Amino acid sequence: MKTKTEIKNGYNYLENENSIIISFNYSPIIKNSKLFRLEENRLSNKSIVILDLKDIIEYDSYLIVIISIFRNLAVKYNFELQIINENNELSNFINILDIKEYKNIQEKKVFWLKRHIIEVGENITNILLDLRNFIEFFGIIIIKFLALPFRFKKVRWSDLPDIFTKNGVMAVPITVLIVFLIGLISGYQGALQLKQFGADIFIADLVGISITRELSPLMVAILVAGRSGSSFAAQIGTMKVSEEIDALTTLGFDKYDYLVLPRVLAITFAMPILVLICNLVGVIGGLVAAITTLEITLSGYINQLQAALSLGDIFSGLIKSIIFGFLISLVGCYKGLSASGGAESVGKITTGSVVISVFLIIFVDALFTFLLSALGI
Amino acid sequence: MAENIIKVENLKVAYGDRIILENINFSILKGEIFFIVGGSGCGKSTLLRQLIGLESPTSGNVYIKNTLFSNTDSKTKNIILKKIGVLFQSSGLFASMTLEENMRLILDTYTDLTEIEKSNLINIKLSSVGLAGYNNFYPNEISGGMKKRAAIARAMVLDPEILFFDEPASGLDPVTSASLDILIKEINKGLGTTIVIVSHDLQSILNIAERVIMLDKSVKGIIAEGTPKELKNRTEQPLVYNFFNRIAN
Repeated sequence: MKTKTEIKNGYNYLENENSIIISFNYSPIIKNSKLFRLEENRLSNKSIVILDLKDIIEYDSYLIVIISIFRNLAVKYNFELQIINENNELSNFINILDIKEYKNIQEKKVFWLKRHIIEVGENITNILLDLRNFIEFFGIIIIKFLALPFRFKKVRWSDLPDIFTKNGVMAVPITVLIVFLIGLISGYQGALQLKQFGADIFIADLVGISITRELSPLMVAILVAGRSGSSFAAQIGTMKVSEEIDALTTLGFDKYDYLVLPRVLAITFAMPILVLICNLVGVIGGLVAAITTLEITLSGYINQLQAALSLGDIFSGLIKSIIFGFLISLVGCYKGLSASGGAESVGKITTGSVVISVFLIIFVDALFTFLLSALGI
Repeated sequence: MAENIIKVENLKVAYGDRIILENINFSILKGEIFFIVGGSGCGKSTLLRQLIGLESPTSGNVYIKNTLFSNTDSKTKNIILKKIGVLFQSSGLFASMTLEENMRLILDTYTDLTEIEKSNLINIKLSSVGLAGYNNFYPNEISGGMKKRAAIARAMVLDPEILFFDEPASGLDPVTSASLDILIKEINKGLGTTIVIVSHDLQSILNIAERVIMLDKSVKGIIAEGTPKELKNRTEQPLVYNFFNRIAN
């Protein structure tokens, strides 16, 4: 029988027609892995493959990797694998690290379109489940509110002033600044167009109505969503993952009375106050634009504003702000209570609460616009 | 005779005026299971942080394989860090990655293995700790005991010469803790890995420790050194005797 000997890519091959003996030219250790490249085709037509572990002085887990690759190939090409010349120490090492449950490592190929369709389906299912859970949460809170006169003492009122201060009072500087700038920008942009038609004085109408009806409630809501909604989600989410909420429940406290209601009440009351302040500041921004770009006096601007603005404009903005505040705090608390796992989950739900809040704000604003327009308000 | 794999010389650790440890001198032999024990607040975890290079000492030196490890340059430190593995008290697994990804991160960074070789190695390591098939699980989807095992698999992925364990039995039930002891012994005997464990779990100490040092916060240092059996019978040192015989002060 003809025997062929060859040294190639880390292995010594001693082969004849039906069998092959393979030994190592280098130490089978991880840092030598690049030196080893097995020629599979040599094994494909053999009935016996012998892996000779003689002369191995240095070895690590990479040896076991090589052995498991040989075992995979034994199944693939249907040959008998024998391992010979393992001393006691080597045998012990292999036994400790040997894969107890054999797994054939082969990548499962899924057609790319099928994979994407499955992903889309899973995402839609998750969104619908989340929506269902949110509606359930919404219902629980509405019931809690309606029953509030009968369960007054159950709510943690002592937290309300602190939450109101942090999320209402301390939000004043940033919201005032932003809405002032919005008023200023609207004024400047409007002035450019109105000047062309000689309708300078209507800048007061433009700024007054847009600020009170839309821009002030919208901008304040978005800022509060980013500032307070995310904060609620993070606080309650962290409490959830560190089992503080479980502890509250086992101590007999209702998590909605303890955590959710104070936050929802605080933001719902704070929002219209913030919007009122910002309405004034936004109009002042428009005034600055009017005085600096057009030949309009202070008294002229104020008189025109008084004539243009109706109570309906102001109240529509305030009512919207109450609804926005309710939704923002509700979403923040809901997301916090749905956290699970660890730090990564808290990060995800915090981002999610801002995104969902902003979406709901814009959606409700659009609904209001159509509704009020239909009612002629 | 086994050589020293870790040597600590005149180690002192202080945070400002507050001295935590001083006059710490001991060696750990290659291939032994070595325990660092003591009551709460005695500085066990502080000492461990010195041994694994997370902090530098106020004075003194730590040598690993006769190479200076404490206060050394980052290049030397990185070479030594590849020779050690650490199991942290709360596992230290990366929560945003699956068990496989936790291990693949290390293999991608430090080896030239092919994808198939990496997959096989990960399977080998997970299987060796009894977690075969759990590759795609996230840490928050497995139990506390399984997290510890997964963390051991990750710590072992590059076949370290020394494995450090920080309170491995904390949060585990007695049966799981006993299984972990068996696994540690298997790793030590089968792979020749030196094991250094910080613990105050008496059962584990008596089960698997070969040599122990005991720290005490009153002296801010080592008050006893020996085998568990020797320390259990050390009647001349009441602190040591009480600790090893579980007697209240």
